[in-house]
Amino acid sequence: MSSLSPTVFTKAEIIQASRTADWLILVFAFLVFTGGFHVHAMLTMGDWDFWTDWKDRRLWVTVTPIMCITFPAAVQYWMWDKLRLPLGATFTILGLLFGEWVNRYFNFWGWTYFPINFVWAATLVPGAIILDVILLWSKSFLITAVIGGLAFGLIFYPGNWSMLAVLHQPVEYNGMVMTIADIQGYHYVRTGTPEYIRFVEKGTLRTFGKDVVPVSAFFSGFICILIYFIWHFFGRWYSTTRFIDQY
Amino acid sequence: MSKLAIRTWAAAGLAVVVAATSLYVPEASAHGEKSQQAFLRMRTLHWYDLNWSTDKLRVNEKMTVSGKIHVFKNWPETTANPEHSPAFLNIGIPGPVFTRVESYMGGQFVPRSVNLELGKNYTFKVVLQARRPGRWHMHTMMNVEAAGPIIGPGIDGSMADYKHVLTTLTGNTVDIEKVGTAGIWGWSFFWIFFGFAWIGYWAAKPVFVPRYMARKAGDESIVSPTDVKVGLGFMVATLIITWVGYNAGNSANPITIPLQAGVIGVMEPIPEGAPTVEAKVEQATYRVPGRSVILKVRVNNRGISPVQVAEFETAGIRFLNGSVYKDETNYPPQLLAPEGLSVDDNSPILPGQSKVITLTGTDAAWENERIADVIYDPDSRFGGLLFFVDSSGFRSMAAVGGPLLPRFT
Amino acid sequence: MAASSSAISRAVTAEQPGFLNHRNLWLVVAGFTFFNLFVRWYEEVYGWSAGLDAFAPEFKTYWMNFLYTEWVLEIVFFSYIGAYLWKTRTRDMDAVTPREEMHRHFHHFVWLLAYGMAIYWGASFYTEQDGTWHQTVIRDTDFTPSHVIEFYMSYPIYIITGWGAFMYARTRIPMFSKGVSLPYLVVVVGPFMILPNVGLNEWGHTFWWMEELFVAPLHYGFVFFGWMALGLCGLLSQIFERISELAGPALGTAPAPASKASY
Repeated sequence: MSSLSPTVFTKAEIIQASRTADWLILVFAFLVFTGGFHVHAMLTMGDWDFWTDWKDRRLWVTVTPIMCITFPAAVQYWMWDKLRLPLGATFTILGLLFGEWVNRYFNFWGWTYFPINFVWAATLVPGAIILDVILLWSKSFLITAVIGGLAFGLIFYPGNWSMLAVLHQPVEYNGMVMTIADIQGYHYVRTGTPEYIRFVEKGTLRTFGKDVVPVSAFFSGFICILIYFIWHFFGRWYSTTRFIDQY
Repeated sequence: MSKLAIRTWAAAGLAVVVAATSLYVPEASAHGEKSQQAFLRMRTLHWYDLNWSTDKLRVNEKMTVSGKIHVFKNWPETTANPEHSPAFLNIGIPGPVFTRVESYMGGQFVPRSVNLELGKNYTFKVVLQARRPGRWHMHTMMNVEAAGPIIGPGIDGSMADYKHVLTTLTGNTVDIEKVGTAGIWGWSFFWIFFGFAWIGYWAAKPVFVPRYMARKAGDESIVSPTDVKVGLGFMVATLIITWVGYNAGNSANPITIPLQAGVIGVMEPIPEGAPTVEAKVEQATYRVPGRSVILKVRVNNRGISPVQVAEFETAGIRFLNGSVYKDETNYPPQLLAPEGLSVDDNSPILPGQSKVITLTGTDAAWENERIADVIYDPDSRFGGLLFFVDSSGFRSMAAVGGPLLPRFT
Repeated sequence: MAASSSAISRAVTAEQPGFLNHRNLWLVVAGFTFFNLFVRWYEEVYGWSAGLDAFAPEFKTYWMNFLYTEWVLEIVFFSYIGAYLWKTRTRDMDAVTPREEMHRHFHHFVWLLAYGMAIYWGASFYTEQDGTWHQTVIRDTDFTPSHVIEFYMSYPIYIITGWGAFMYARTRIPMFSKGVSLPYLVVVVGPFMILPNVGLNEWGHTFWWMEELFVAPLHYGFVFFGWMALGLCGLLSQIFERISELAGPALGTAPAPASKASY
């Protein structure tokens, strides 16, 4: 590399360049992470997120946080370890929500006319903020995994209930009881997703009555802890700065 | 397809794109049912006696599609059969251009999946409410999408006017199209802005290279006690707002129930006695150059009146014996061969008589609907329904099927 | 000596404020945005009027011809960009001045922004869009309108853009010319693999999965390769390392030693 004289660049121009780089990188990193994360999320928990008649008390609550703590954990590792920025979770989750909302509005609604109250994206921001702040406060990936991961799973359902509750009102429809969400699923014809394909709670002899959600959320939180561990290692691996000679 | 039935189009949605296309009027033709392998379409579900109540309606008006389904006994083993797997009575339309407001099988309301018995016949009815203006193709559809297509109606009006109002069991009146939308936008975007505020707090300071350099130099002052306090503030606010939102959801909707799921059960078939006419295919060939299927069938009339062959139906295509039977349902012309079925001996089959007749079903539909491809399928067997009528117009039906031999010259 | 260098430096700064070529930046942003708005408009109009039945003659006119045009253009662009960047490569990297190198890093950022936009439209916008299109048609052909756009247009575009970015770095930026950056390979080759994975997808949908279930294990190949976007972390660390070496003296900090791979 060339030897550098202190006078090659002025301090002011470096500061300005650094700031320009900040904005550019924020934008393209946001877009690249959004692409990767959105593909991952839509193909591991997407159907629950696409349709309200999938947003149930058992699998939606369990699967969504588990699948969505992945990229936050990996990017948190890089942003915190290399930059001391406690942003990885919120940054990636906002990317995911950006990708999802643009799609739901311009494609699910704008191209194929499913109404937004049927195809809205669940929010994950509360869990992301908690993950970031716990990392900032504890400065420990271990504590973030255990407390943050658990919280990420636990807060998902209450964070979304403000939007979902109204769609779980009971309705008598042609002699059967259905939620409004069920009626939406019946109403807005989907040729590719017949009713039987839904993975939703159908009840077992073992469920604790109305306590289904806390059990699901707690289980989700537990798995989130483990996934956080694994994915924070992904963050380490993907942060490699190796150069190789052969490929 | 024919003339468009609509003049206006709702301007809701993406402003740029919608504005750019506001002169464009949607018109949908078939949407993919022809792609299914022919032997699947011929040997799964046979839809017959189809009726549709109108071919032109305004937004919010309703139409009914009804008819009968025969569940083919010799169901291909490659496809799950509805005796053991859930089947869902769907409707083949290009997305929610209509909404499905009611659907019935054997008189039972079927908003969820059901089971059906092989070899049985079922009545069905689907009531649709017009939602999006345009002229749409539609077809009946079950889980394996064995489909009998019909030309759908045109819809006039504006999608913005679409409404479906219901009263909940807790006494609230809601429009399914809009209920909860404001809360969804409000809460979702509140959280998104809140998240960006957190990003903004950090992005207001140098972000990447300076922090990288400081971190590398071991300078931990880039995370200040103020940062931690602000962070804790964000977290406490998150917890409080989530708690408030959760309780707001609960207090606005004190009674909620979980999603309803589960197979409804085995549907009630159309009651039937012993068949009055039996038919068994002795040989079936498909002549590629002539686009015709030739069936040598032994017919056994066990009824009390003489019968004649009226129709052969397969995969939604109807070949009529024109001298005996006319269609008056306005069936789609590309799927109807009004004179397409010839019989070598058209004389009535007398009660108690058993005789072998040769039927020839000829029409371009074999090619156009891609049924002729059965000879290239991995299981070259066909299935279909034969209809017989007596002099009073009483119809008997017999399901037929078997190997189909191609003739290439 | 120092004073005169400083004067020269200031003069150069006055000529070229900042290191970023704003015209290129906005051309990239506008190019991707308007191109994709056009594509979305095309989908809106010809998806509904000509794209619902793969056996209709209008489908061939509006969709199969679109597809063939894409394929030709993609091969041309891929070859041209690679060949051009290679042919015009910097042959003597030691002659690249620090100022020039800094300019090239910013030029490279614009390439990465292009890659980001291409990845966003391909992996996020058009991929999830496919899920809703399959609610309007029966899965009748691999070349249904959403696939013509998603698999055969948007994925090749990000592959070509990633290829361009990688080749730009390899042929213009000293640090990337002297060895092959592992994270760069990951972030470019990983998402590229999503395209060959379409083979698995279509095979599966042809032989056993007709319904539209996004979470079906059949799709996990896409997921795995989507993870590779995280390679951006390592790539950015490499770039930060070099930029801090370049900028360090002006900020009064000693140049940090080149980083060694620690994981």
